[in-house]
Amino acid sequence: MMVLILHKIRPGVRGRLTRWLIQPQSNVYVGHPSARIREVIWKHICDEIDTRGGSAVLIHTDPSEQGYRIATRGETPKTTRDFDGLILPKAAKAR
Amino acid sequence: MKTSLHEIGRFDDRMSFLYVDRAIIRHTSNAIAIHEFDGVTDVPISSIATLMLGPGTKITHEAIKALADNNCLVIWAGEFGIRFYACGMGGSRHSRNLLRQAALALDERTRLQVVVRMYLRRFADDAIDPEITLQQLRGKEGFRVRQAYADASKATGVPWDGRNYARKDWYAGDPVNRALSAANACLYGLVHAAIISAGYSPAIGFIHTGKQLSFVYDIADLYKVELTIPLAFEMAGRHTQNMEREIRTEARRRFHRAKLLQQILPDIRHCLDVKAEEQDEFADDPALPAGLWEPESFTSETPIGQILGLHHGDDAA
Repeated sequence: MMVLILHKIRPGVRGRLTRWLIQPQSNVYVGHPSARIREVIWKHICDEIDTRGGSAVLIHTDPSEQGYRIATRGETPKTTRDFDGLILPKAAKAR
Repeated sequence: MKTSLHEIGRFDDRMSFLYVDRAIIRHTSNAIAIHEFDGVTDVPISSIATLMLGPGTKITHEAIKALADNNCLVIWAGEFGIRFYACGMGGSRHSRNLLRQAALALDERTRLQVVVRMYLRRFADDAIDPEITLQQLRGKEGFRVRQAYADASKATGVPWDGRNYARKDWYAGDPVNRALSAANACLYGLVHAAIISAGYSPAIGFIHTGKQLSFVYDIADLYKVELTIPLAFEMAGRHTQNMEREIRTEARRRFHRAKLLQQILPDIRHCLDVKAEEQDEFADDPALPAGLWEPESFTSETPIGQILGLHHGDDAA
């Protein structure tokens, strides 16, 4: 299972995603592709963000204790904080 | 309002532990958040078995209340989570398990039965001859532990001169002894949380005796040979900068792989010969008044003089 949340990504890139993932709500993509396909999708998204901006959060199932992993790319409002293998999202302090 | 135990995570469905230091833990909008200098992290307390608070942590009264409500055990620990200072309250609201554990420990014969079951749990069933004595069984266990140290030393190339640690000065210990302490501390925290979550007492030990954590040591000893001894030698052999932190990360991985959280409570039930998990009738309503004790050998009509062993005429003076 994977969930992808996009922000400020071009429509063309989003369109390609719907080949593997469903979009139950705008900006949110859900699916259950193989790990290989998931990596291809994520690499594609990361390349896009690195060259044209925008941001993404990827959450996918993982055999760890937590059961899933979180990855972020670009300027997301929350970063991740690793507590000895337990990954929790961290929001920058409000000023 | 108190949270119903049915709606929060069961102990064995939870993630093992979260270690925090140098942060403020506050109750914010019905949840707990870790406030650090550069940001705020929400904590899913109903999905975590143990919150370990290291040095430099501050926690609010409201936060403790929410943690207790959600059956997340709070442990105050030393630097790196390796020393245990104090703990909060765990989840169970009934006292049945505690009373059973106390009854078993106070009768010499039932206590011995538990001790034997605890030793036997370490060996495959067919490997034990019923003719073996307790002394021989203890010898077998001693051999098993020494062998585990020797095997781990051989596998990792880390020299082993026996278990010793400077209790006053953490860094005076050799790396493998420090690694063992750190790995065992993670194990103790988890076992402690399991014991409290099911309403047993950490103090009423069977093999170990005389300390507030005797039962924790009893149960943790079931897992050291398989889990913490190999882990500690491997991490000590890697000579990493941040050994204690990496031990916690690796301990989490291995505890998960070994399904430790799912195993502790069944193992305790097995050692104490408890057949199955019983209903917690206070799960929905912790304030529900419990019954009053009724003795079996006396009735409520028995005169109190007879109960106290006073007889007419005895105390005449």
